[in-house]
Amino acid sequence: MATAAIPTTTSMATATTITSSGGPDGAGVLDLLRLLQFGDSVLPVGAFSFSAGLESAVQQGVVRDPATLQGFVQAAVRQAATGDGIALLHAHRAAAAGDAAGVLKIDQAVFNRRLNEEMRTMTVRMGRKLAELCEHVRPGEGMREWLAAIKAAATPGTYPVAQAIAFAGLGLPERDAFAAHQYGVASMLVGAAVRLMRMNYLDAQAVLFAASAVAADDYAAAADTTLDDMATFAPVMEVLSGIHLRSTVRLFMS
Amino acid sequence: MIGPDAPFAGPVPRELAAYQDEPKQLATGSPGKNGYLRMGFERRGGKTVLADLERRAPLLVQQALYWDEGMPELPCVFMISNAGGVLQGDRNTVAIRLGPDASAHVTTQSATKIHEMDANHAAQRQEIVLEERAYLEYLPDQTIPHRHSRYRTDTRLVVHPTATLLYGEVLMAGRKYYRDGERYAYDVFSSRVAASRPEGRELFVEKFVIEPARSDVGLVGVMGEWDVFGNVLLLAPKEHVDAIAPQLPSGMDQSGGWAASASRLPNSAGLVFKVLGMEYEPVRDVIRRMWAVVRREIAGREVPKQFAWR
Repeated sequence: MATAAIPTTTSMATATTITSSGGPDGAGVLDLLRLLQFGDSVLPVGAFSFSAGLESAVQQGVVRDPATLQGFVQAAVRQAATGDGIALLHAHRAAAAGDAAGVLKIDQAVFNRRLNEEMRTMTVRMGRKLAELCEHVRPGEGMREWLAAIKAAATPGTYPVAQAIAFAGLGLPERDAFAAHQYGVASMLVGAAVRLMRMNYLDAQAVLFAASAVAADDYAAAADTTLDDMATFAPVMEVLSGIHLRSTVRLFMS
Repeated sequence: MIGPDAPFAGPVPRELAAYQDEPKQLATGSPGKNGYLRMGFERRGGKTVLADLERRAPLLVQQALYWDEGMPELPCVFMISNAGGVLQGDRNTVAIRLGPDASAHVTTQSATKIHEMDANHAAQRQEIVLEERAYLEYLPDQTIPHRHSRYRTDTRLVVHPTATLLYGEVLMAGRKYYRDGERYAYDVFSSRVAASRPEGRELFVEKFVIEPARSDVGLVGVMGEWDVFGNVLLLAPKEHVDAIAPQLPSGMDQSGGWAASASRLPNSAGLVFKVLGMEYEPVRDVIRRMWAVVRREIAGREVPKQFAWR
């Protein structure tokens, strides 16, 4: 995430700007804090309850060590970038332009492309929770209408669209929304991994750190696409997730 | 239905933007490279007939045969390509319609080979329309993308809520045992399937784009160690799907060389059954087990034994 947010070669120290009056400039600090809060893996939207196929990957021995976890996370992050990530960018633009009908269309497009049942349940559960959280924290600030549409079953309420509306409402740029979305996918999996397998916390952080390395390129590739370009290809994850649905012994929700 | 002269319109998808150059051979979509196949099935008394057939080379259908001992009233059709495969610049179209209460089985004569390419790409669009209580088994043989091939399929399914469509495809990694072995040596394989109800309501869209040189297919979670990917869509009334889902093979059988599971589709459209394998045969056999469950539940009939020569 940091790679996408901070210009290369600029360290935090040299990035500090001095205003004409001589004091340090606080502009942007609030935005950074909002990004930290809404991109945080402990944001209570239910990510903690899902493993997105990882639980069955561990049970089947497909993921068994930091290297295989790294591959699994990398694959998930890639799917997020070429699938939901594109929808998130379009939804951010629609929300920022006040195009409520456009947001609903994108929400339905995301839902209709979630062929995997477990992932579909996850995205609408997390989407609704984020909408409720935003409405609670900042009542009347952009999320109310969409939450009402979810409650009326007029729209599915997917997570990337909820994130897009939340970030647009906070005045945070689409790049930040994309980064938070990508980070969310990786942090959820790494968080699940430390509970599912023998994995120390330091290795887990190394996996998460490495997963973010591609985010800048992924954003650049996604920024210039149409909604029809949304595509994914992760058959092993989908098969594992389907096995998870039928599994009787499990820690995580399906 | 898509007409024989409907142009391949619409924006060029991102993944094919680099593959638009004209081949030095026959021009893109010119005669011989613009196959068209339209099949209309109608229920006539106790059986279904292939009432409407239009074909243009290199796509070919000879006639419907009634070879299925489990369902003798079922017309079975081989789709044939007299080009021996799919070549650069091909623009093929397949349109299939089943009228009320009609049933059919559509397959291919052999595996679909997508030949090596050095210019342009190949594309096939398909439209399948199922009216009230129609029943279609669309189970072509495997698709084998050769080195540097670029292929795009775009499929539109229009299925009445009372109809059943079993739509299965198997994608190979390549010519696995040719020379040193070709695994994921193709440039692009792009597939889009969009399903809707007759009144236009969208049910789901599945688009996958595989570009092995750009994105590692062997990643854990993508294809991992597996070489064969079977993808079967079942669109059927919900009560049938509810009965079918728990009977389907599910699990990872490393010694048997396959893994599979099912997942319900959005908007109560049915289910998708995904199968992985190291070789074609175990994938075909698992899909056959699924097909048998579906036919038993929907048609109350058995799938006959595997032909010895297929």
